[in-house]
Amino acid sequence: MSIQRPYVRSMDGWWKRNAYFTRYMAREVTALFVAAYAVVLLVGVIRLSQGEAAFNGWLQALKTPLSLVFHLLVLATFVYHSWSWFNIMPITMPMMFIGGKRVQPGTITRTGLAATVVACLAVFFIVRGISS
Amino acid sequence: MADIKTLIEIEVLRYRPEQDKEPVVQTYKVPFTDDMSVLQGLQYIKDYLDGTVSFRWSCRMAICGSCGMMVDGKPKLACKTFLRDYYPGNLRVEALAHFPVERDLMVTVKDYVKRLEGIKPYLIPKETRTIEEGEYLQTPQQRDRFMQFSACINCMLCYAACPQYGMNSKFIGSGHMAILNRYNADSRDGGRDERMESVNEEDGVWGCTAIGYCSVVCPKQVDPAHAINMYKAKSTIDYLTGLVTPGGADE
Amino acid sequence: MEVFKADVTIVGAGGAGLRAALAVAETDPELKIALISKVYPMRSHTVAAEGGAAAVTRADDSLDFHFDDTVHGGDWLCEQDVVEYFVAHAHEEVVQMEHWGCPWSRKEDGHANVRAFGGMKIERTWFAADKTGFHMLHTLFQTSIKYPSIKRFDEYFCTDLMVEDGRCQGVLAIQIATGEFTLILAKAVIIATGGAGRVFRENTNGGIVTGDGMALAYRHGVPLRDMEFMQYHPTCMPGTGLLFTEACRGEGGFMLNKDGYRYLQDYGLGPPDPSPRNKAMELGPRDRLSQAFWHEKKKGRTIEGPHGAVVNLDLRHLGAAKLHERLPLICELAEEFLGIDPVHTPIPVLPAVHYTMGGILADGKTASSLPGLYSVGECSSVGIHGANRLGSNSLTELIVFGKVAGIEAAKYAKSVAISNPAAIEKQAEAAQARAVGVVNKPGGTERLAVLRTEMAKSMEDGCGIYRLQADMQATCDTLRELRERYKHLKIDDHSKVYNTEWLLSIELGYLLEVAEAIVYSAFNRKESRGSHQRLDGYEKRDDANYLKHSLAYYGGDGVPRIEYGDVKITKSKPGTRAYGAAGEKAEAEEREHEGAGNG
Repeated sequence: MSIQRPYVRSMDGWWKRNAYFTRYMAREVTALFVAAYAVVLLVGVIRLSQGEAAFNGWLQALKTPLSLVFHLLVLATFVYHSWSWFNIMPITMPMMFIGGKRVQPGTITRTGLAATVVACLAVFFIVRGISS
Repeated sequence: MADIKTLIEIEVLRYRPEQDKEPVVQTYKVPFTDDMSVLQGLQYIKDYLDGTVSFRWSCRMAICGSCGMMVDGKPKLACKTFLRDYYPGNLRVEALAHFPVERDLMVTVKDYVKRLEGIKPYLIPKETRTIEEGEYLQTPQQRDRFMQFSACINCMLCYAACPQYGMNSKFIGSGHMAILNRYNADSRDGGRDERMESVNEEDGVWGCTAIGYCSVVCPKQVDPAHAINMYKAKSTIDYLTGLVTPGGADE
Repeated sequence: MEVFKADVTIVGAGGAGLRAALAVAETDPELKIALISKVYPMRSHTVAAEGGAAAVTRADDSLDFHFDDTVHGGDWLCEQDVVEYFVAHAHEEVVQMEHWGCPWSRKEDGHANVRAFGGMKIERTWFAADKTGFHMLHTLFQTSIKYPSIKRFDEYFCTDLMVEDGRCQGVLAIQIATGEFTLILAKAVIIATGGAGRVFRENTNGGIVTGDGMALAYRHGVPLRDMEFMQYHPTCMPGTGLLFTEACRGEGGFMLNKDGYRYLQDYGLGPPDPSPRNKAMELGPRDRLSQAFWHEKKKGRTIEGPHGAVVNLDLRHLGAAKLHERLPLICELAEEFLGIDPVHTPIPVLPAVHYTMGGILADGKTASSLPGLYSVGECSSVGIHGANRLGSNSLTELIVFGKVAGIEAAKYAKSVAISNPAAIEKQAEAAQARAVGVVNKPGGTERLAVLRTEMAKSMEDGCGIYRLQADMQATCDTLRELRERYKHLKIDDHSKVYNTEWLLSIELGYLLEVAEAIVYSAFNRKESRGSHQRLDGYEKRDDANYLKHSLAYYGGDGVPRIEYGDVKITKSKPGTRAYGAAGEKAEAEEREHEGAGNG
């Protein structure tokens, strides 16, 4: 090892070097927005337990312009979160075979995304039905 | 070569430990035709412009795994990356990322090999069989379970693609997990338990955060990202059963 | 310099070297094995072999059939007793590979599958898709990890053999990472360094196939046998020379000239069947197919491509499913390098140098004329390929004779001791000075790549598929000149850490010397046999004068001395190599003849 002098390159800013890594970091960051929205919902549950007046106060707060901007932003990050989640999901699952043929990763992703869209629409129509 | 007027600029990150304090870029103008690979470009540089540029290569057909390097920041095999995809711009060639640079485009490989040796990458047969009894039987369907993972050419591009490995060179990485799975998934093999230590240990599979770039760059469609992430479930089951049964998990 | 003491040293960690190491380790785990390779073992050129490994398997097959196919294929220049051993031990070795995990392709019932191959009467080629060499090499390398007695010297470059007291007692190697020399003492040395195809311009070989071990043995007085027999593989990629496996034809591919005509039927290989027929048409032996290309080119019936004349390898009728299952690597190569999808477009191919039939003279037990020195694999001439090798015999050769070499070397190593370490160290110092001196001469003017390119072009011109005296003479003269100019090399790299230019310079020395052995052997063989074909008055096979092996002896600075050795004939008297309909007729007549004799 006397004359060899292996050079170790820095990992600083690694996530900026490749668009794939930047998208990965964005994916990870969306978790923070998911957490933020979970807090909002948690507050709503707490307000519900504190009675009708408290709950209505929470609902009013949700209707403010700031809240609407927040919710649109969170919706956008949720869409990216779901999209990237289902894109990476196939690699976390065991190899699946149907009728002797390997189930392709793309199939799993598309199925997941389709199920998400269906679930969202279902929730949307149910809530609209209840509130009208 | 006299009538070829088309030139392309190749920037090479040089590093000669006996004279360079740190890597430095050197640019070469290489005459090219549209079927030339990056490897052929480097060979031209070494043959006619600068014999001191050092790089590994052999088969020229993406099966020996020698010529992995970064081309414009992406891990590639130089023998099947073509200059025409970068022309008329220039291209930057560097040693494979996340490995220490020994010299120019050559990185330290011995740690990769040592780690490979540690995962017991050989068949540990479930049953004994004499040569006279002939081959173990294995149906084409059973063979399909592991063949994809057996295609690994040890080119290390997946390690160059993994920032977790870049930040912790003790991390087992997806490439070795693919080879580990090649054996675990082989119907003739019974060594799964012996290999779980590599999976469960401190720098085992849990260092992976499912970035997935390794499978994108793999030149042989091994899908190492899948291999390593499958083992997170197996590792968990192993851990939980280990809590309940003192002897460890049973397949 | 550092000194390491081993019992057995193996130079080269490809299929043969690894198999030998495993054999030594299994024979006696106490023996210390030094396994030296100038590249990491998984880069060895075995990795690029595609088609398969032949072994008699089917009930309707027999050792006699495999023996006959091999001896006929070799144009009767084979050592028949060695071929008998070879065919008898092939099956057990491919089964041993399977037990070590080699993922052979299977039939539905779980048994290993076999495919048809050129020059083989019955299907007997075991295969792992179209990456058999890759899977065999990785299986052997990964299995070798189990044995603690195998110490690997990865990226160590051998520059000389140590010969003392008339025995080979070690090697001198450069640790590539540091430029430092290590002396590895051993009581037996096995050379498994591969072929020398890189002496030619267009070849299927990797950059490392430079005849290193051949040159090392040659320089120490061991003859190189049958060097003139260089195999041209008929289906290679234009420009790069990369291999499209014979299995393409085994699975039913056609070879078409510019008129879309299956031209092989014009060369004694017909009649053309729509599906593959063993030993006929596209499943004829490689030398015949390459020769047919040469004739088609002369008749103007080849297709002119950007890299010269080509013919078409048509796989379209195989269908996408079969292509992707049996020939996935071929599809990948065609797609990535040529932008062609073989499902829809024929692949342009031409013959390129692929295999070195000749090599270090080795007896049936892989021993050379130098006690303590063994050789195995493509670098050796153990006697099974003769004047032309049949496809899929070479991968089997690695494992059958790899085992023999390991066992023999182990036996020998246990019977001797290192005789004079001090004298050997002195030799090592002298060898070190020579290796360093290749590049550090004052006043050098010659550029490495220029010499290498001139050599390769000259070999292509003089030692092509068909040879002419005047061309071979010109090549002899060119090589003499190049060997002189080699003494005045000027390289750019004077460092020690990973100085690959220095190593390429030493390799060029090996290449030039092996090239001379090839062309002088060719010049002196005044007949045509197998892959050595002449058009200068010696078009016919001449058993009376040339049913002999060529033996090239090192002439130092001078030209090689060519002598001749006998061929061991046991069961198969020299006959005509007949393929296609002529072959079937000949076999029927032979059977009748035998039947009459036994009746």
